[in-house]
Amino acid sequence: MTLAFTTNSRAALALTLAVAVLTPAAVQAQNVAVEEYVLENGMRFLMRPKKGDPNIAVGWIARVGSVNERPGITGLAHLFEHMMFKGTQVIGTRDIEKNLKILTDLDRVKNDIAREEAALAVKQRLGEIPTPARPEDRSRGHNELLRELDKLTTAERGVIVKDEFDKVYTSAGASGMNAGTTNDFTIYFINVPANKLELWFWMESDRLLNPVFREFYSERDVVREERRLRIDSTPIGRFEEEFDALFWSSSPYAWPVIGWPCDIEAITRDEAMDFFGVYYAPNNLTACLVGDFDPAAAKELARRYFGRLKRGPREPPGLRTREVPQLAERRMIAVAETKPRVRVRWHTVPDGHVDEPALTLLASVLSGKTGRLYKALVLDHKVANDVDADQDSLKHEGYFEVDGTAKPGKTPEDVEKALYAEIERLTKEPVSARELEKVKNQEAAADYRRLRVNFSLLMQLLIRDAHRGWHTINTDPPRVAAVTAADIQRVASTYLSSANRTVAIYYTKESPVAEGRAKKTEGAQR
Amino acid sequence: MSQLFTVLAISALLSPAPDREIPRHPKELVFPEIVFSPPERAQYRHVLPCGVVVYIVEDHDLPLVDVVMTVRTGSYLEPEGKAGVASLTGSQMRSGGTLKQTPEEVDEELAFLATNMSSGIGDTEGSASFNCLSKDLPRALEIFFDMIRTPRFEPNRFELERSQILQSLQRRNDQTASIESREWERLLRGPGFFSTDRRTKASIEGITRADLVAFHNRSYHPKHFLLAVAGDVRTEDVLVRLEALLKGWAKDPCPLDPVPPIPKPTNEPGPAAYLVDKPSVNQGRVTIGHLAPTRDHPDYHALGIMNQILGGGGFTSRITSRVRSDEGLAYTAASRLDLGTYYDGVFRAFFQSKSESVGKATKIVLEEIDRIRREKVTKEELDTAVNYAVGLFPRAFSTALSTATTLASEEFTGRSPHFWRSYREKIKAVTQEDVLRVAQTHLRPEKLLILVVGNAEEILKGGLSAGKVERIPLPDPQTLEYAGK
Repeated sequence: MTLAFTTNSRAALALTLAVAVLTPAAVQAQNVAVEEYVLENGMRFLMRPKKGDPNIAVGWIARVGSVNERPGITGLAHLFEHMMFKGTQVIGTRDIEKNLKILTDLDRVKNDIAREEAALAVKQRLGEIPTPARPEDRSRGHNELLRELDKLTTAERGVIVKDEFDKVYTSAGASGMNAGTTNDFTIYFINVPANKLELWFWMESDRLLNPVFREFYSERDVVREERRLRIDSTPIGRFEEEFDALFWSSSPYAWPVIGWPCDIEAITRDEAMDFFGVYYAPNNLTACLVGDFDPAAAKELARRYFGRLKRGPREPPGLRTREVPQLAERRMIAVAETKPRVRVRWHTVPDGHVDEPALTLLASVLSGKTGRLYKALVLDHKVANDVDADQDSLKHEGYFEVDGTAKPGKTPEDVEKALYAEIERLTKEPVSARELEKVKNQEAAADYRRLRVNFSLLMQLLIRDAHRGWHTINTDPPRVAAVTAADIQRVASTYLSSANRTVAIYYTKESPVAEGRAKKTEGAQR
Repeated sequence: MSQLFTVLAISALLSPAPDREIPRHPKELVFPEIVFSPPERAQYRHVLPCGVVVYIVEDHDLPLVDVVMTVRTGSYLEPEGKAGVASLTGSQMRSGGTLKQTPEEVDEELAFLATNMSSGIGDTEGSASFNCLSKDLPRALEIFFDMIRTPRFEPNRFELERSQILQSLQRRNDQTASIESREWERLLRGPGFFSTDRRTKASIEGITRADLVAFHNRSYHPKHFLLAVAGDVRTEDVLVRLEALLKGWAKDPCPLDPVPPIPKPTNEPGPAAYLVDKPSVNQGRVTIGHLAPTRDHPDYHALGIMNQILGGGGFTSRITSRVRSDEGLAYTAASRLDLGTYYDGVFRAFFQSKSESVGKATKIVLEEIDRIRREKVTKEELDTAVNYAVGLFPRAFSTALSTATTLASEEFTGRSPHFWRSYREKIKAVTQEDVLRVAQTHLRPEKLLILVVGNAEEILKGGLSAGKVERIPLPDPQTLEYAGK
């Protein structure tokens, strides 16, 4: 399972999650031993000491993602993650009193500006102006507010210590600090030298205890740039977003983790604080340590530092809105600067569902160089140049997806047809014993590989704990081992029906090339 | 792995007194010392009787083994007009089967054993590797050396990859990120240099199976191999197996001996500013930079610290801080200093910003390049960068695999075996004056090459004050011909 991972800093990350794994008879069953420690306030700690190089991978996860948003504040979970790096009452300022006063003034001015912008939005709605963003449409009061905002932003710079949160860690030799937000969770992680574990306890508990959301409004601009980078200025970013919105009817998985542009621009600091109060209470958090440390010492540090956090007044609300069953096929025809391709997605099951192991193996049977799709579509029929299949198990829902790139001379529809033929075969006859054993072997080996690096183990334990409990790292493998060929045939028939699917067809739109040089390229254009 | 490190009883020192007060600021925290001694090559280096060097690092935590081989070859050895043959040879060794097995048989057996095996050829080296369960090591090694020594180059697999490459060449102008990296390399190294993408429809169509066979035959001989093995193995066992697999072949005459030296680029880039128009995007991508020294330069350590402060240190560095945190003009804004291994390296600053603010962000980056040459960095900036580098370097040896491949790669590229031993002391010795001196010596504002890719009209409207800006038309993606050139 691969999640689009929206990160705070530095490099983009593609995060591969362990889903379900197994151990065939030939290989010893893995048993990842983890010590669990729960504070009185409900915060959980997972500890996995491991001798090796003098480092510790440390992190924590909040059970909150874009599914916990609503229209109007889409993108808040992610924007919030950015704000967690802006410091605290102690970190990030020379004068906290003055700093807080400026922040209050900034909020007041921003709220006044929001009223002006709302008035412009009404004009746009009535067609009187083309966009609410043109400077010439602003009132005199609006312009004065903008000048005041500039002054306050400059004043804020005078009292803050730039990126002190990063500086403290960096100058301690800690590395790889980052965070990520998905639909279902938000995760914060770093690697600290083994002798500086207490620094991590200090810094992380402080930002949960006394966060100050400085530079809120310029950070909103950073997120807009992140959106342009990842989505708007890539050939198919916005189409993929549209495909998600088409696939999900009622579920909050319909909106992008990074949020709709109009929401990102309008979210307020108050809204971010409310979100923090509900979802960043210790009873909604799990922390994890993997590496060279002493668990007894770590427990004591956890109690002293994180024990200061107060349990939330109430448990965070569960997710009420589930996806409604799909009744009819949906199709999207896109023309984009990309290879001609097709993607088909079916609603299936969430992480941990009894049918998930069979769907995971079904995807394995179809994908890879020896998978059925590659053999049939790429090698035998020569309709596609690339194919893939995947079961994506999110926390509350899930889907099965196949895609293929048409070979020059073939159309996305040719590929689509061939994909369905392979799916149909799976519903008609059981997979062979050897095929089943092969994919189970691959799952088992992949399972070991995911344990090799401390950081990767940390991520798995945290994400599993946020979903169904860390122990599933040990209890999922036998479930996969128990899958039969009949199970695979059954889930193929149950979920991969025509009424349950959504299809994206991509035709190629040529990039403009300088005059006189552009030649019509062959291939599968519309 | 624990035998690698000298760690002073950390756990004992870490145990906090139960009711010690939490300090008001993290500066008040006191940490125990930690002493890390980087591994020495000799600990893991072995020479097989047949002459091949192997690094072996045992780690029995998990039942997995990695084998990584490096080969002295590269796209710099491609014959004239055959751009793309090196990379095709590397990948077809893996995809095209072996003399003993068809491609389907190789794929099926490896998939059944859950062994990930790969092969590739880059600009200045070839590589091949696999990861398997330790119980499967003997069979995986056999398949591996069949692939290395007697690849079949099955025509249908070759045609498939050719079709995939031709399709992706067609789409070379879709993404601004790939346009930016292609044009940057071309402007910096020159259109004919081997690291510049010179593949065209014609060059790919002109490559035959015989070209692959010839390219493979020239370079793949044990004389040009260096191996790294890590994981659940016994060193003695690995040495015996490798010798058995390589000794016969090592006696064969070596077709390319010595391997020709890697040529140095002669292009003298910049100063100049170029703009590639891609009207369909709302964000411009900018790279600003010039050539830099090689990594054996005596200023190596000071240069690393200088770049860390300028733009390599994430949020603690100047470019990121001003362009991203202060102004909200970019998500990524940073600089990199890649000192060359075989020839001149590259210094480059880069960011992506909405079209109308490309000019403003460019100005800030140029100001920062100028400032670090005029004023000494602060003591605090220096300390942050030095402490980070000192804390980070043990990470190169964080797993058995990274230890084996780091040591192997350093021998392959001819780095001094004492590099790591003296690293910490040399980094700690860097002063504020050193940083100023290396910035003045090696950052050359008068040489800067500026490349902008994005919506030209919107970007110019925002005011791009980079001197005279030359427009580069997007080339035909299949011929790489540039209109008007």
